[in-house]
Amino acid sequence: MTQSIDTSSYSAITEAIQAEAQRVLGDGTVTAVIGYAAARRKGSAQPIVISQADDAARLIFTPACVNNLAVYLTKAKKEIPRNGRIGIVVKGCDLKALVGLMGESQLKRENLYLIGIPCSGVLASTIQPDTELTADTLASKCRECDAHQPTGCDFVPPQLPVAPELEKKYQAEISRLEALTPAERWAYWKEQFAKCIKCYACRQVCPFCFCEQCLCDRNKPQMVETTPRPAGNTAWHIVRAMHLAGRCAGCAECERVCPMDIPLNLLNRKMAKELKELFDYEAGFEVNDKGPLTMFTEKDDQSFIK
Amino acid sequence: MHPEKTSHTFEPKVIAFVCTWCTYAGADLAGTSRMQYPSNVRVLKFPCTGRIDPVFILKAFQQGADGVLVSGCHPGDCHYIAGNFHARRRFAVFRKLLEFVGVDLNRLQFSWVSAAEGGKWVEVVTDLTERVRAMGPMTEFKELALEEQWSGVIDTPELKEAFSQI
Repeated sequence: MTQSIDTSSYSAITEAIQAEAQRVLGDGTVTAVIGYAAARRKGSAQPIVISQADDAARLIFTPACVNNLAVYLTKAKKEIPRNGRIGIVVKGCDLKALVGLMGESQLKRENLYLIGIPCSGVLASTIQPDTELTADTLASKCRECDAHQPTGCDFVPPQLPVAPELEKKYQAEISRLEALTPAERWAYWKEQFAKCIKCYACRQVCPFCFCEQCLCDRNKPQMVETTPRPAGNTAWHIVRAMHLAGRCAGCAECERVCPMDIPLNLLNRKMAKELKELFDYEAGFEVNDKGPLTMFTEKDDQSFIK
Repeated sequence: MHPEKTSHTFEPKVIAFVCTWCTYAGADLAGTSRMQYPSNVRVLKFPCTGRIDPVFILKAFQQGADGVLVSGCHPGDCHYIAGNFHARRRFAVFRKLLEFVGVDLNRLQFSWVSAAEGGKWVEVVTDLTERVRAMGPMTEFKELALEEQWSGVIDTPELKEAFSQI
C-alpha cells in the first residue's frame, strides 16, 4: 500500500489563483500572468501566458503542473518583463530559481507579481498526468522539498501544504555513490553520460543557463566537444554541474526534460550538499547579491591546498 | 656534477597552471638557483589563479595529462587583490565534483607558491610527479575519447516485445 498524498487543497488553490489573476489583470497591476492551463491530454497541464482578465478562468493548479515557469522570464523570453509588471505562478522550488535570478540581476522584484502556491508536490516526469499523487508517483525532488510554502510572495492562497516524511532518494543515491571507489563512480557516470544525445534540453529548460553564448558552443577555443560522443558528453555534464554550483535552485527541470533519463539533478544535489558543507550556503527565498562562488572570506577552508 | 638520472618505464605528463606573479616567478627562481626538479611538468602561465577556469583542468586531462597542478600566490598576496580567494572557493567545489564523477583526486594538486619559494616549487612538483608516476597513466579520459557511441544494452524486454510486434 503506497502512501497517498492529500491534494484536496489543489482545487481551492486553483480557485484562489484564478480569482487573484482576474483581479490583478482587471485592475491593471500586471500586464500578463504566466501560469498553468489544462492541456489536451486528460489531466495534463501546460504553461500559459494570459493577458486578459477573462482568461483567468483557464488557470489551474494540479499535480501535473510540473514546469518551472521562471524559465519564461529569461533567455529567449527576456523581452517579456519589459512590457510591464508580470504575474507569475510559482511553486516553492520555482520561487528559489526566481530569487536566484534576482540575485544575479536578471530580474527585478518590482517587475514581478508573485502568486505563490502552497505546493504539496507534483508528479514525476515518467508518470501519466492523470495519475493520483502518491508517494510512488511523486517527483523525486518533492520527496526532499523544504520549500512547500513559499514566502515573500505578493499573494499566497491560504491553504496549507501537506508534507509527509518520505525516504530521500537523492540523498540515498548520493551516499551510495560516495561510498564507492573512484573507479566504480567513474563507471557509473560513464554509463550515464554515454546515453546523452546532446539535445541540450537540460540547458534550454534551466532558468540559470541564460548566457547569450554558452561556453560549450564556442569553437575558438573549443573547450567542450560538441558531438554526442562519450568524451564530449562527460565534459558537458561536468561543466554544466560546475556552472550551476552555488546557483541551482533544485527545481530538477533538467532531469525532468532529459529524454535519456540521465540523473542530472543528482549532480546538482551533490554540488548543493558540498556548498552547504563548505560555505554554509543553501538556495532559499532571500535575494543575495553574491552567490557562494562569487564571494569569499579570508577564512575559507584550504586544507586541500599545499 | 648532476646526480645520476634514474630511468623509469613511465614518464607522467604533468600540467601546471600557474599564476605569473608568484608561482611562475617561484619556478623561475628554482631555475636560476639551479635546483633540480622533474622535467615532466609543463608550465602554463596565467595572469592569476582567478583566471584558471575549471574547464582548463578538464581539458588538460582530456588531452592526456596524467596529473594537474594549480598554483598561485598565497592568500592575501594576490596581485589583483582577491583572485586567489575566488579561485580557492571555486577549486574547493570543483575538486568535489571531479571526485564525485570518479576522478582520483591524487592526480590533482593545488598549492600556494610565492616568488621566493623556489624550494617549495621543487618539492610540490616532485611530490606530484612521483605520486602520479606510482599511480600510472591516467586512462579514464583517454579511453573515453576513443569510444564512439553509447555502448549500453538496448535489448530490454519492452523493446524486444515492441520489435516483435512490428
